[in-house]
Amino acid sequence: MRTFWVLFKKELRAFFVSPVAYIVLALVMVLSGFSFRAALSVLESAPSEGSIVTWTFHAMWFWLSYFFIFPLLTMRLFAEEKKMGTLETLFTAPVSAWQVVWAKYLAAVVVYCVLWVPSYINFRLVDWISVGQVEIPHGALKGSYLILLAMGMFNLAVGCFASALTSNQIIAAVISFTISLLHFLIGLFIMVVGRKVADTFVDVISYFASMEHIRTFTSGLIDTRPLVYYTSLALLFIALTHQVVEFRRWRP
Amino acid sequence: MIEVQDLTKQYAGRTAVDHISFKVEQGEIVGFLGPNGAGKSTTMRILAGYMPPTSGRAAVNGHDVFHDSMEVRRSVGYMPEMAPLYADMKVKEYLRFRAELKGLRGSDMRKRVGECMDLCAVTDVRRRLIGNLSKGYRQRVALADALLHRPPLLILDEPTNGLDPVQIRHVRELLRSLRPAHTILLSTHILQEVEVSCDRVVMIHQGRIRAIDTPTNLTRQIRAASLVHVELQGKGDITAKLEALKGVRKATQEFADGPWLCYSLRVEARYDVREALMDLATTQGWKIRELHRQLPSLEDVFVELAASAPEKT
Repeated sequence: MRTFWVLFKKELRAFFVSPVAYIVLALVMVLSGFSFRAALSVLESAPSEGSIVTWTFHAMWFWLSYFFIFPLLTMRLFAEEKKMGTLETLFTAPVSAWQVVWAKYLAAVVVYCVLWVPSYINFRLVDWISVGQVEIPHGALKGSYLILLAMGMFNLAVGCFASALTSNQIIAAVISFTISLLHFLIGLFIMVVGRKVADTFVDVISYFASMEHIRTFTSGLIDTRPLVYYTSLALLFIALTHQVVEFRRWRP
Repeated sequence: MIEVQDLTKQYAGRTAVDHISFKVEQGEIVGFLGPNGAGKSTTMRILAGYMPPTSGRAAVNGHDVFHDSMEVRRSVGYMPEMAPLYADMKVKEYLRFRAELKGLRGSDMRKRVGECMDLCAVTDVRRRLIGNLSKGYRQRVALADALLHRPPLLILDEPTNGLDPVQIRHVRELLRSLRPAHTILLSTHILQEVEVSCDRVVMIHQGRIRAIDTPTNLTRQIRAASLVHVELQGKGDITAKLEALKGVRKATQEFADGPWLCYSLRVEARYDVREALMDLATTQGWKIRELHRQLPSLEDVFVELAASAPEKT
């Protein structure tokens, strides 16, 4: 456990001494500002069913930021160490591959959580400025951040896995971007095909649909199925990452 | 301290290390000598617990490198080739991180980091980013890292690579000063290196052990044929006369530059024909404008060994 903390601290620190974390933070801040503004303008023009939370996380801007975050945060993790040869130094110290994988992954998760702080500040700000005029459903807000965390955990695990596969950060980024996008497109599939296919098929597909999950949670409904789905996928990809790292260690 | 038995490592389709066996006793400094690609780094990586052998057995301090990898890593201070380090960390910060990874804590950790920085002469750069350091400094930071947890065994892959002569001498002295408490296995492809600092030499070529002996015995054995170049002007059957000299194995004319003829002579080990050649030239009335002897490089020695010597295992 001590070893894990030492590694975790080092990984977390590595995020904040390189410019990457700040760039991603700035990007997410701008884009969440845009999506918040988009949500406000929807509410301005006409009475609407959804709350401000729903509209914020349905804006195109939100999805734009969503896909860039994961490759940018995770591409460095293993690929850089492999390229620099530091993996050899690391694994000749008494550390296990599990400790390394978890330390890197959880550091990325923590940074990811930090990224959403500005968007929360947006909600607080509007609450403060409008003196409670704009209704903010707090339950739905909590739900939104919960599903964001779950989806983030899954996508970051994918990114970890991609980074472990190669020593080239660009390739790692492309792999993780592709997997994340494909996963998202499965969900979009129903929207495109609509009702032309069998209902059972649509039902099955909608279990994978990220947009559907966001819709549920932002309207204030906590559904455990997506949570279990994302957590188990995250665990699967972390296990895969561990396998890859161990395999590499046995055959550098 | 180290026991290696029938160790083999194969990469996809290529055998890097081929059934090698050797032993290193407590307190020895053993040099691992061989040209690039001989299998030195692979063997050292296996011994440091970084990867397992394909077959065979290796034990460090009584622990098997595969089944007991963590214990092995705890008792080995390993310095990889090229000294890979985190470029975005400062020297002291890096060494503290490594010390904590290796299980040192609190004031003991801080004291030990200071000691190792002093030993390896990196104290004056402790606040600088590793990425901005010169090769020599990085090499010494990596060495300090290897020493941190007071390992009974040090495995150093080309520790003097990239250092200037003064630094090389410094590292040699440092290694010798560590001797009673530490056993050291170091690799190099420089022959003098092992002659100066090692008690015993394990010579490896193309994944096989060619010889294990003390440096003195070994150099006596392996002094292979040297080459003598001579440029002369003269008449008669020069080649035959040159080959008649004692110790000359073969004389070949390399090229002619006008009246000047350039010969190279392969000379048996332990012979120096330069003086006899001058005498010969005087009696024959030859003119000589260049004469020099080229001592065999390690590469030559290995080529010779690979071609001729029976394997010693």
